[in-house]
Amino acid sequence: MTSSAAPGAPDLAAAPQAPIAPVRRERRSVGSYVFMPIFLALVCAGLYLYVSNQELDTIEQRALNAGNITAALLEHLRLTAISTVLVILIAIPLGVLLTRPFTGSYRGVLLTLANIGQAVPTIGLLALMGVGALSFIDIDIGVTAAIIALVAYAVLPVLRNTMVGLQQVDESILEAGRGMGIGKFGVLSRIELPLSVPIILAGVRTALVINVGTATLAAYINAGGLGRIIVAGLSTNRITVQITGALLTAVLALLIDYLAGIAEDVLRPKGL
Amino acid sequence: MSEFFDFLGRRYDDLIEVGLEHMYLVGISVLLSTAIGVFIGVTTYRTERPREIALAVTGSFLTIPSFALFILMIPIMGIGAPPVIVALTMYGLLPVVRNTITGLREVDQATVESAKGMGMGRTQRLVRIELPLAWPVIVTGVRVTALVLVGIAAVGAIVDGPGYGTFIFDGLARVGSPAAINLVVSGMLGVIVVAILFDTLLAVLGKLTTSRGIQ
Repeated sequence: MTSSAAPGAPDLAAAPQAPIAPVRRERRSVGSYVFMPIFLALVCAGLYLYVSNQELDTIEQRALNAGNITAALLEHLRLTAISTVLVILIAIPLGVLLTRPFTGSYRGVLLTLANIGQAVPTIGLLALMGVGALSFIDIDIGVTAAIIALVAYAVLPVLRNTMVGLQQVDESILEAGRGMGIGKFGVLSRIELPLSVPIILAGVRTALVINVGTATLAAYINAGGLGRIIVAGLSTNRITVQITGALLTAVLALLIDYLAGIAEDVLRPKGL
Repeated sequence: MSEFFDFLGRRYDDLIEVGLEHMYLVGISVLLSTAIGVFIGVTTYRTERPREIALAVTGSFLTIPSFALFILMIPIMGIGAPPVIVALTMYGLLPVVRNTITGLREVDQATVESAKGMGMGRTQRLVRIELPLAWPVIVTGVRVTALVLVGIAAVGAIVDGPGYGTFIFDGLARVGSPAAINLVVSGMLGVIVVAILFDTLLAVLGKLTTSRGIQ
């Protein structure tokens, strides 16, 4: 594998950072704030009307009652929240470390690895963790396996954005800070990090969206989440159950991305 | 480890065939995304509202989890390759649209102005000046799209789509048997190889199609 990866590696490394760089947005219009929640509420209302007007058999009733859906939703949120917090705790300090002068020699290699890593399919990573955990350790540790897979994948965008964010800070500003007698740590915490917050946040938002999406697939390794409603619908061949699970998943992902977008606007340091 | 290589040897024909299917699926979707994405970019880059809407809508496509979108395609398109191609095309739009808009907006206005002075019309300026100058940026977007789609295509096996996803899901269905891990790992490696092939191919194509004056 390494030999076949080698020729492609520089290309992947040179591949653009475009999907993660934050969109320079002008002030958002009121319409764009209001549209998404209304749209999602309408989708949910439509789904509710559709399902409640169907004759549900016992299998469908078991999958589509409020208790089961709430439980699946909570499992999903838990998977997403835990893995995203872990990603932040790992990726940002690592990104800071890797932009310090003494780690310069590892930087290129790591960024290349991170870029190639993004070509690994999430479902493959999840399946590998699941198959490994379930067949070797012989106990059901689906949730742990899922979280490890989610974190391993979503670390990349945050790590990369942290490094890019810190590196794009104007050297002369740092110089000015040092000139004012601020120490190394002060320069990092009071100048570099605040100035890279928008880019880091964009990476965190990407990681969050990836985690919500991949958590859907976690159902395949017994880790629960909204995906298990879809899987239940697939295995019993009930289209209503499949559609309900899929729509709820889509609504949740769009809602979380919407909220993350607002958080991005609010958390951005004033003056930037 | 040797067991894994035995497995690769045994399933060699399968792996190649499934790989070609995977490439075919992604190739068509990338073409569609590029055609539609460049069209959307060209029609919206001049005015602020349409531009914002185009980016917001194609951005939300990418937010919808692939598992959900593939399932939502079933009532409309059935199962197999068609729903996967439609879903992949939707996922591939954002990088192309965004880079088309960025690329076109970065074209030096003085250049466009002089083309106007030479008597070129609106369409001529777009086709002969603006698009060729924006092309390297657009190709970059297409490469991102290809990388994203190669990975998502693996999930398409859920709705009976072809490609290396079938290996991964076969492996998941056989948890506990020794074949499971071989199936999953070979599926993953297959996806990575396809990703590298696509990226290299598109890099070369991009070079070849970029106007010589700006290389």
